[in-house]
Amino acid sequence: MRDPVVAPARRMFELALGEMLWGRRAVFMVLAAGAPILLAVVMRLAFATGSAEFIVNGNRIDIESMFGTAISLLYLRFIVPALGVFYGSALIADEIEDRTITYLFVRPMARGAIVLGKYLAYLVCVIAIVLPSAALVFFIMVPLAGMGTLIDMLVRDLGRIALGLAAYGAVFLCAGVSLKRPLVGGLIFVFGWEPVAQVLPGYLRRLTIAYYLQAGAVGVAVLIAVSVAAVALAMRTIEQREYILEQ
Amino acid sequence: MIIATDRLSKWYGHVSGLNDVTVALPEGITGLLGPNGAGKSTFMKIVTGQLRPSAGSVRVFGEPIWGNAAQYHRLGFCPEQDAFYEHMTGREWLEALARLHGMDNATATASAGRALETVDLIDVADRKIGGFSKGMRQRVKLAQAIVHDPALLILDEPLSGMDPIMRRRTIRLIKDWGRAGKSVVVSSHILHEIEAMTANIVLMHNGRIVAEGDVHQIRGLIDEHPHRVWIRADDPHAVARHLLAGDEVSSVRFEEGAVVVETPKPDAFYSRLTRIAASGEAGAIEEVTSPDDNLQAVFTYLVKQ
Repeated sequence: MRDPVVAPARRMFELALGEMLWGRRAVFMVLAAGAPILLAVVMRLAFATGSAEFIVNGNRIDIESMFGTAISLLYLRFIVPALGVFYGSALIADEIEDRTITYLFVRPMARGAIVLGKYLAYLVCVIAIVLPSAALVFFIMVPLAGMGTLIDMLVRDLGRIALGLAAYGAVFLCAGVSLKRPLVGGLIFVFGWEPVAQVLPGYLRRLTIAYYLQAGAVGVAVLIAVSVAAVALAMRTIEQREYILEQ
Repeated sequence: MIIATDRLSKWYGHVSGLNDVTVALPEGITGLLGPNGAGKSTFMKIVTGQLRPSAGSVRVFGEPIWGNAAQYHRLGFCPEQDAFYEHMTGREWLEALARLHGMDNATATASAGRALETVDLIDVADRKIGGFSKGMRQRVKLAQAIVHDPALLILDEPLSGMDPIMRRRTIRLIKDWGRAGKSVVVSSHILHEIEAMTANIVLMHNGRIVAEGDVHQIRGLIDEHPHRVWIRADDPHAVARHLLAGDEVSSVRFEEGAVVVETPKPDAFYSRLTRIAASGEAGAIEEVTSPDDNLQAVFTYLVKQ
């Protein structure tokens, strides 16, 4: 058969994109992207009116630092892993649970193309929604005068967010292809293991994605490698595994 | 042969879904009959490459099916489960699936329209599947199986949930496909449905094939099976007395206004009964029916073996 992966993956991508936008988890994505914007508006108003100030260890935190904190805590520690878990694990697992995977498996394309197409749809969808959300938070929170010097930081942060979405999504896509209940394990990993591992001594923190999101150029390389490897493993797994659908 | 299996078995853990099934399905329409849990769906899932055999082999069009994606150009499958992308319209869904067959947008649109028209859904093609009735959902499921015009259709309980009129139209549709040169393997646990589509049947029970071939050949298999006949007569006792004078009847019991006899020699028995009725010696014989004369009895008998 000619080109059993790339062209079918593109067609699968088109189908999956619609599924992403209309699926039952779309509300979560909208909330995840919209809530920080709302929060930024509130904070900006509070700062502008002087009705609030943030003090840590006796030092007043400026709005620029607040943006950095928002990216680190809100996006990289919560929104990015949460979207990765919710969407990545659901890409194939939902089709299995809904028993619609049959319609895809009886098409003339490698099963790996289903995985690849769905993953790319996920990536485009979350990046298209989360990155503008983070950028908007930046433009809302940071005063116009200070933007010039902070644009580099914004670009770097957007890159980290994109990489995080790619890595978390790929890892949990792989889990969704391999495990029966991937969501629970995924939530334990990102909200249980990762925060704990960050404060543990030694090398355990290297067994988290969060660590590499803070690790500079090496981190970028590792995250790209993890993403590619996880998607490849998912493609291989779905080719070999049989799925017994519950009636 | 379109489909050939050799000592095919499938186990789900310790549970056997298919047990040592060797069968060759010819071109044309083949009915797969059996009660729920007989192994029909397991057989179809293996034949469509969704499940891998635990033992034995299966070939479709002479080639393996598991991991052989090219086979799906020639194969269409209508699964049993009532599962859909509910938010999509019938047309959107079919177009998307047609594109997965490599069709460009224009061809996919035309193919989807043709498939929807075939199953009488063209008028509701732009309604969301989530709002479809059970019968419409069954039909849109059939449409997705034919959207790429396959040579072989595997249909798992396609008539389930359809009203009698749509059931009749779908049976006609399946027969039309057969006449058009397509091969169809269709499953059901209702014999008269299959009987209306084809004479070529495979009977399954407990993961095994208990009989296969032409309906008439299968009937031949039960020649030794006592044939039950229900006779309503003015004087059932007189009828019984005359019948028992010969050696065709093995047992007799009475119901109100009727006698029920069992015979191991149906042909000889019917000749004798006709003679008795014609002579009027035992009074009027008003009605003769034999539950064994329909496929249901054949099926019930065979699966008990």
